[in-house]
Amino acid sequence: MRSNAYTLVFTMAVTIVLGFFLSLANSALKDRQELNTQIDMKKNILQSLDFSPSEEKPWTPEIVQAIFDDYISSMVVDKDGNIVEGKTADDIIEGNNEFPVFVKTLNGTVDGYAIPISGKGLWSTLFGYFAVESDGMTAKGITFYSHGETPGLGGEVEKSWFRDNFKGKRFINSSGALIGIQAIKGGVDESSVDAYHQVDGISGATMTVKGLNNFLLKDLKNYELFFIQIRNNTGA
Amino acid sequence: MALLNKKSKAALSDPLMNNNPITLQVLGICSALAVTIRMDTAIVMTLAVVVVMSISNTVISLLRNYIPGKVRIIVQLSVIASLVILTDQFLKAYMYDMSKQLTVFVALIITNCIVMGRAEAFAMQNGPWRSFLDGLGNALGYGMILIGVAFFRELLGSGTIYNFQVIPDSFYLAGYENMGLMVLSPGAFIILGLIVWAHRIAAKIEED
Repeated sequence: MRSNAYTLVFTMAVTIVLGFFLSLANSALKDRQELNTQIDMKKNILQSLDFSPSEEKPWTPEIVQAIFDDYISSMVVDKDGNIVEGKTADDIIEGNNEFPVFVKTLNGTVDGYAIPISGKGLWSTLFGYFAVESDGMTAKGITFYSHGETPGLGGEVEKSWFRDNFKGKRFINSSGALIGIQAIKGGVDESSVDAYHQVDGISGATMTVKGLNNFLLKDLKNYELFFIQIRNNTGA
Repeated sequence: MALLNKKSKAALSDPLMNNNPITLQVLGICSALAVTIRMDTAIVMTLAVVVVMSISNTVISLLRNYIPGKVRIIVQLSVIASLVILTDQFLKAYMYDMSKQLTVFVALIITNCIVMGRAEAFAMQNGPWRSFLDGLGNALGYGMILIGVAFFRELLGSGTIYNFQVIPDSFYLAGYENMGLMVLSPGAFIILGLIVWAHRIAAKIEED
């Protein structure tokens, strides 16, 4: 049996050596990892706005960056729905009641708006984007780029079968009030009067979906006045 | 000393056939179910486990005469955990999409019983070269089954092999459908069970 002092020194040495290697790897790979995360976010913004990779144009980092630069511009709106002049999404200060909007422009006309959404699911915070058609009231798409929900249950939120449900749903009611979009237990009854703001839930993921319903509404509230302006401008 | 004498050869080849960690010791089942929906994830997972196990076994074998008995498990665990984190970081930097698909399962290599099991049962008693071979052999034995399960699950569940469509469109037009069950965990259990059965017959293993 070795002495306690030896044990102590040995464990310390092991910790220091291993710690050294880990921090070395971390600092060496950090830039690349951050670039990957950035590209992944851009990919999600594009995906929510109805872009998809094709055979001849797979989404390599360079192509994602190029499509993003060509079609997407970002702007910042405040709580009153007014555009903050001269700012882009990169200039947002947290907690300043300023919110980024990513605008897709196609042949000179606006084709949709993507806004970041995030909130608690069951185990984790989900991060994603929610895209709105140029009419300011119809969902264009939804994506998630980061979450820690159970694969196969809550993790299904990132699958296309779930995300595609959102397309064409409306998040305001007939009198123009914001009601969000709800994923509901079981399937949506298409004949129901509420079907226009409901999507099929995920079985086995009630809590994740409940969280999603809540934070989608919460995030849309931040943009409520902005989208009202859009609706007024388009005459809808 | 020959590069591969009889004992070294056994360290490498035993876990592939006669003492396969999955089919005979039934270890590492959790990730064998989770990452075998498609072959590409199974192959990357196999590579990750090969890297982690061969290096961890070698390192622990080199340290085996210095590791104090009362903290040996925690030392083994720190070595393994560090290697897993390195692998994970590397995947995040160079194979981002793959690391997103493998999600937590790369990090969970830490808890894979095969890795700690070989460190404790083999690397603590044997020299670095043989421990390296043992780690490599066990990782390959694990990976072999993983890729085998993934092959059948992808073929039957998605009609593809390594993302190439192998079931012709005419089959689908004639009414053939992919088996949804194969994409879910029960499909993995069924395939794995059949592979364990086949392997035990082939290796002429009888339960005591």
